[in-house]
Amino acid sequence: MSRNPRLEEFQMDTKPVHRSGRSKCSNFLYDEDTGAILGRTPESWAKILIFYTIFYAALIALFSVCMVTFLQHFINPRVPRLQQEYSVIGTSPGLGFRPLPPDVRSTLIWYKGTGYDSYKYWEDQLIDFLSVYKKKGQTAGAGQNIFNCDFKNLPPHGKVCDVDIRGWDPCIDENHFSFHKSSPCIFLKLNKIYGWRPEFYNDTQNLPPEMPVELQTHIRNITSYNRDYANMVWVSCHGETPADRENIGPISYLPFPGFPGYFYPYENAEGYLSPLVAIHLQRPRTGILINIECRAWARNIKYDRRERLGVVHFELMIE
Amino acid sequence: MASKESLDHGRTDSYRVATIGPIKDDNRTADGQYKTRRKPPAKKRKAGDLDDLKQELDIDFHKVTPEELYQRFQTHPENGLSHAKAKENLERDGPNALTPPKQTPEWVKFCKNLFGGFALLLWIGAILCFIAYGIQASTVEEPADDNLYLGIVLAAVVIVTGIFSYYQESKSSKIMESFKNMVPQFATVIREGEKLTLRAEDLVLGDIVEVKFGDRIPADIRIIEARGFKVDNSSLTGESEPQSRGAEFTHENPLETKNLAFFSTNAVEGTAKGVVICCGDNTVMGRIAGLASGLDTGETPIAKEIHHFIHLITGVAVFLGVTFFVIAFILGYHWLDAVIFLIGIIVANVPEGLLATVTVCLTLTAKRMASKNCLVKNLEAVETLGSTSTICSDKTGTLTQNRMTVAHMWFDNQIIEADTTEDQSGVQYDRTSPGFKALAKIATLCNRAEFKGGQDGVPILKKEVAGDASEAALLKCMELALGDVLSIRKRNKKACEIPFNSTNKYQVSIHESDDPSDPRHLLVMKGAPERILERCSTIFIGGKEKVLDEEMKEAFNNAYLELGGLGERVLGFCDLQLPSDKYPIGYKFNTDDPNFPLDNLRFVGLMSMIDPPRAAVPDAVAKCRSAGIKVIMVTGDHPITAKAIAKSVGIISEGNETVEDIAARLNIPVSEVNPREAKAAVVHGTELRELNSDQLDEILKFHTEIVFARTSPQQKLIIVEGCQRLGAIVAVTGDGVNDSPALKKADIGVAMGIAGSDVSKQAADMILLDDNFASIVTGVEEGRLIFDNLKKSIAYTLTSNIPEISPFLAFILCDIPLPLGTVTILCIDLGTDMVPAISLAYEAPESDIMKRQPRDPYRDNLVNRRLISMAYGQIGMIQAAAGFFVYFVIMAENGFLPMHLFGIRKMWDSKAINDLTDSYGQEWTYRDRKALEFTCHTAFFVSIVVVQWADLIICKTRRNSIIHQGMRNWALNFGLIFETALAAFLSYTPGMDKGLRMYPLKFVWWLPAIPFMLSIFIYDEIRRFYLRRNPGGWLEQETYY
Repeated sequence: MSRNPRLEEFQMDTKPVHRSGRSKCSNFLYDEDTGAILGRTPESWAKILIFYTIFYAALIALFSVCMVTFLQHFINPRVPRLQQEYSVIGTSPGLGFRPLPPDVRSTLIWYKGTGYDSYKYWEDQLIDFLSVYKKKGQTAGAGQNIFNCDFKNLPPHGKVCDVDIRGWDPCIDENHFSFHKSSPCIFLKLNKIYGWRPEFYNDTQNLPPEMPVELQTHIRNITSYNRDYANMVWVSCHGETPADRENIGPISYLPFPGFPGYFYPYENAEGYLSPLVAIHLQRPRTGILINIECRAWARNIKYDRRERLGVVHFELMIE
Repeated sequence: MASKESLDHGRTDSYRVATIGPIKDDNRTADGQYKTRRKPPAKKRKAGDLDDLKQELDIDFHKVTPEELYQRFQTHPENGLSHAKAKENLERDGPNALTPPKQTPEWVKFCKNLFGGFALLLWIGAILCFIAYGIQASTVEEPADDNLYLGIVLAAVVIVTGIFSYYQESKSSKIMESFKNMVPQFATVIREGEKLTLRAEDLVLGDIVEVKFGDRIPADIRIIEARGFKVDNSSLTGESEPQSRGAEFTHENPLETKNLAFFSTNAVEGTAKGVVICCGDNTVMGRIAGLASGLDTGETPIAKEIHHFIHLITGVAVFLGVTFFVIAFILGYHWLDAVIFLIGIIVANVPEGLLATVTVCLTLTAKRMASKNCLVKNLEAVETLGSTSTICSDKTGTLTQNRMTVAHMWFDNQIIEADTTEDQSGVQYDRTSPGFKALAKIATLCNRAEFKGGQDGVPILKKEVAGDASEAALLKCMELALGDVLSIRKRNKKACEIPFNSTNKYQVSIHESDDPSDPRHLLVMKGAPERILERCSTIFIGGKEKVLDEEMKEAFNNAYLELGGLGERVLGFCDLQLPSDKYPIGYKFNTDDPNFPLDNLRFVGLMSMIDPPRAAVPDAVAKCRSAGIKVIMVTGDHPITAKAIAKSVGIISEGNETVEDIAARLNIPVSEVNPREAKAAVVHGTELRELNSDQLDEILKFHTEIVFARTSPQQKLIIVEGCQRLGAIVAVTGDGVNDSPALKKADIGVAMGIAGSDVSKQAADMILLDDNFASIVTGVEEGRLIFDNLKKSIAYTLTSNIPEISPFLAFILCDIPLPLGTVTILCIDLGTDMVPAISLAYEAPESDIMKRQPRDPYRDNLVNRRLISMAYGQIGMIQAAAGFFVYFVIMAENGFLPMHLFGIRKMWDSKAINDLTDSYGQEWTYRDRKALEFTCHTAFFVSIVVVQWADLIICKTRRNSIIHQGMRNWALNFGLIFETALAAFLSYTPGMDKGLRMYPLKFVWWLPAIPFMLSIFIYDEIRRFYLRRNPGGWLEQETYY
C-alpha cells in the first residue's frame, strides 16, 4: 500500500483539505498548484497517452494477426466452412416473399387499390427485386454460366439454371404486377442453403395428408402428364384463419406451384438465381386484413407453425 | 493500601474527572467544529439529552439524613417497602434494567439491503424492462418475452442479494444475543419486614437491599449499614483497587462519598444494607451507557470504500447509459430500442454479484477471526482493524492480567524479582535464606485472604481468592513459594489481630509459635512501608538483627523508591518475637487498647505488587508498531503505574524519554524542555482537562508514544475524537463501562469477552474472546489481508465488465448483431465469476503485511484510478478482443464474414425478414439467425470464462510473480474448475437453448480465446516484473492498484 513517503513513522496522514464543490471542479479542470489539467499534468497526460497508444496498437495487432490467420487459413470466400447440418443454418430452408414493406419489422402489404401513388412503392420494390432476373444476360460473368436446364438436363457443376420470367404473366412489371387491379402478385422464393438438396415427394400416391387437396390434385395431374414434374419443391398458400381463407379468394401459382428441382443444390455459382413462384391473388376481399401463410413442401423441409419452420407469413390489406 | 495515602488525592481526582464533564460540552471542539463527525446537530433534542448525560450527577441522596431518605421513599430500614408501594413504584419507573440501545427496525435494515448500493440501479433496469415489455405487449400482437424475463431476473437478483446480505448481517448481529441475559441477577430485598429474593429487574426506588461479597450491586444504593464492605468500581472507573464503603457521608461528590454503591459494580468483601436510590437508566452506569449509545459512530472504513466504489461504478453506468441513450436517438433508433440499450448497458456495467462477493469474503474472514478468538459483531468491522493507524488501549485487563501479583521483594538489602508470568516460567529465587523465610512467614500469617473452595484443579495463579487484591497476591506468592499456606496458618494459631484501617495504615496479628522449642508469640505486621519503618528499631539482614541506622534507612528508601518507580504497590513487613515471660501462651491480647508492643519492631523487608502485563502483550505491541500502528495507552490508573506498564510492554520503548524524564536527566525545570524532543509523553487526566483541542492535537501529533493516565470516560472519548480529527482510524480496546463511550466512538471498538462488562460489549464492534491484546494483531493482519484480497477480487470482477459492455456499444455503433446478451452477462456476473472472486479471499498475503504502514484512508482507496485503469483499460480490453474474435470466427464459419456483419443489425433483428442473405448467398430465416446469434452469445460467454482464467491467476498477485506466489490457494483452483464446469454445463445441458438461450458449442470454439488468455497472462507477468524491477517507477504509479 502506498503511503506518503515523506511522513515519519507513526505520523498520521492528514485529511486532505476540503474544498467546496465548485472550486473542486475548477481545480479538477485546472490545478494551479501543479499545473494539472483534468487531474494530470501535461507530462503525465503525454506519458499515459503514449502508454495506451502502444498498448492498444499491440492489442489491435494481436487481434488482426488472429483474424487474418483465421480468415486466410480457414475461410474459403466461395464455400462456407460449415454447411447444412454442421452449420447453424441447418437443412430445412425457409421461405421468403417479395415485395417487402418499407418498415423492416413489418410484413404487411398495404395499399389503396386505385391510386398509382399508393402501389408505386410495391411495384418499385418488385421491379428492383426482379431486375437481376431480367438482365441476367448482361451481368458480367453471369451470362455465360447460364445453362438451359430441365428435369432431364441437370446443370453441370459451376453452371446455373435460367429462370424464365415469361412464365409469370400477368405478374409482370408491364402489368404493374396486377396491383392496380386489386389482385396483387406476391413472389415467393425458397431460402438458399449451400449444398442443400430437396427430397421430393416422388410417390404421388402417398402425398402427406395435410397437403391441400388442390395441390395434391395438381401434383397428380401434372405427374401423370410427366413423371419428372414430381421433382419439385411444392408451394401452397392459404389464409390463416377460416375467415382469411374465405377472404383470400382464388390463388394462381405461376409458372408452377413449386420450385423445379433442377435448381438445387445451390453451390454459390456465379449468376445463380433462386427460382420464384408468383402468387396471384385473383380476387382478395378489399378493405380487410388478410393473413396469408405459404408453405414449402418437400420431405426434408420441416414444418412447425409455432416455430415458423418451412412457412412464410405475411398480411395483405387492400383498401 | 499502603501507598494509598500518598496517592489519595490522585484517586479523588479520578472520581471527579470520571463524572464531571471538564467543560460544559456543547458537542463542539474548541475551534467550533462539531465533534461528532457525521451529523451536525440536526436533532437538537438528542444533543440536549447527550449533554444532560455528560453532566455531573446531581443527586443529594448521600447528603440527607437516613431518616429523611426513608421519608422520601416512604420506606423503613427494617421493614422495607410495602408490597403495594413497590408495585406502584415499579409501574411508575419501569424495571430496573438498562434500556438496550435502540435497534434499527428489522424492516428498515431489510429495505436498506434491498435498495442500497447497486440495487437501486438494478431496480431501474428491472422497471425499464417491465415498461418496455408493457409497451410491446400493448402494441405488438406477439411481444417478445425477453424483456419480461429480464425484468423478472433483475428483480430476482436484487431481491436475492438483498435477502442474502440481510441474512449475513442479522446472523452476525445475533452473536451479540448470546452475551445477553446469560445469568439472571438476583437481589435480596426486604419488603414488609420479609426477606425476599427477587430478580434485580424488579427492584424499585426505596427498596432495602442486602448485599454481600461476591454479589453484583443491583442498583445505585445508599448504604445504611456495612460490615467491612468493599466494592470493586473497576467497571465504572477502570481502577481495580477495591474501595471500602460504609454508612458515613464523606464527600459532596456522589462518586466519592463512602455511602453510595453503584449499579453493576461488584461487592468484594463484607456485607451491607442499603436503600435503592436510582434504578435502571438513571444509575451512574445507565448514564454512561446512555452516553455511549447516544454517540454517532459513522461508517466503517470499508463501508466508505464500498460506497466510493459504488459511486464510481454507478457514475460510469449512468454516464454510459445516458450517453448511449442519446446516441441511439441521434442515430435514429426507436425510443423503445434506446430504452433496451439503456437496460443492457446498466446490466453490463453493474457487477451484480460483487456486493454478495464482498459480503461472503468478509464473512469468511469473520469466521476465520472468530476461530482465532476475535468475534466480530459487525461484518464491516472485519477490515477496520486492518486500516487502523492508532490503537487506544485500556490498561487494566487488556494489557495486564487484571490480577495483582507480587513482582519484587526486598530483603537482605537486595531486590529480588518474583515471577509474574502467567505460566510461572520466570526467575526463581533462593527460598532458604533466613531473610526470605522471615518475610514469607509475615506475608503468610499477616494475611486474611483465603482461596475460595472447590478449585482443586485450578493453577494457583488462576484460583479465585476471597479478600483484598494485595493480600490475594501475597497469598498466591506464598502458596507458590511455601506450599500449603493454610496448614502453616493452622500451626501458627492466630491469637489476635488488628485489621487494616486507613488511620493506622497497617495490619497486625499475633500468632502462637509452631516451634515447640520456642514458645514465644510472634507479632507480624504489614502496611505502608514508611509507617512500618517508623515502628522499627532494628532490621533483619543476612540472618542477623542489626540496628536500623541511617545507612539502612537510606537503603530502604532507595529500594522503596525504585519499586515505587516501577509503578508497583509496595508493602513493608516487620515482626517481633514477644518475650515468653511477658506474653505466655494463653495471654489475653487486647486489640482495642493494645497491651502488646507496636514499636521497636524488627524490619524484615518489602514486597511490591503489580498487575503484570500479559505475556503476549509486549510481542503484540511490537508487532503493531512494526505495522506502523501507534499504540496509545489510556487508563484510569496512576501515571506511574501506567508508565511502568507502558514501558514493560513496549508502548514506551526503551530509551525514549518523556518531558519529565528529560527534565530530570538534565536537571532543569519541565517548562524549559522542548516538548518536541521527547518522543514519549505521559499525560495526566487533570492536565488533559486543561488542554484545548489544538493542544491535544499537538500532543497526539508530536509524541509517538503516549500514555494517558487517570482519564475519565469523557476524556477517553475526547482522546479518540482527537485522533480521529487528525485523520487516524482509531481502534479502542477496553473492558469497563467507563470505556464504552470511547468504544462506541472509535472506528472499531474492541471489548473483552471474559472480563468485559455487558455495556462495553454492547458498544464494541469486536470482542476478544480470550481477553488477549495479542488477538488484536491477528485482527490487524486479517483486516489488512482482506483489504488486499478484496482489491484483487474487485479487480477480477470489474475486468469482465468491459467484455460485457463493449458488445452493446458495438451493437449500437457498428450495427452488428448483438455479440453478448443480457442473460449471458448475468450468467457471468452471478454465475461463473462468483466463486473465483470469492476464492480470492483465501489468497495468502504477498509479503509481510505486518511490516508496512497502515493504509492512508484518504488516498489509498479500495478501488482507485489505477485499479480501474488496469481492469477496464488494459485487461478488460484484451478480454473484449477475445470475445469479439470468437464472435467473428463463429459468424464467419457459419457464413457471415466479418465485413458483412456491419450494418445488418436492423434486418437481422427483424422478425419480418425470413431470408437474410449471408456472405455465401445463403438465406437465413429469423429463427436460424437468432440461433446463430445465441450461439455467438454462448461462445462470447465461454471465451470470457477462458480469459477470466488468466485474469484470476494474475489477480492473485499485485506485485509478485505467480511463480513466486504459487497455486496453493485451493479454493481458487477449485474456482477455476468450477467456472469452467459451469460454463460447460450452461452450454451443453439440453434445454438451455430454450431456457437461457445458451447453445452447445463446438469444442474448437473454446479455443479462439486462448491466444488472448495467454497474452493477458504474459502481459501482466511482464508488467509485474517491471514493477519489481523499478519500485516507485512510472508503471507502478499508473498501474499498481
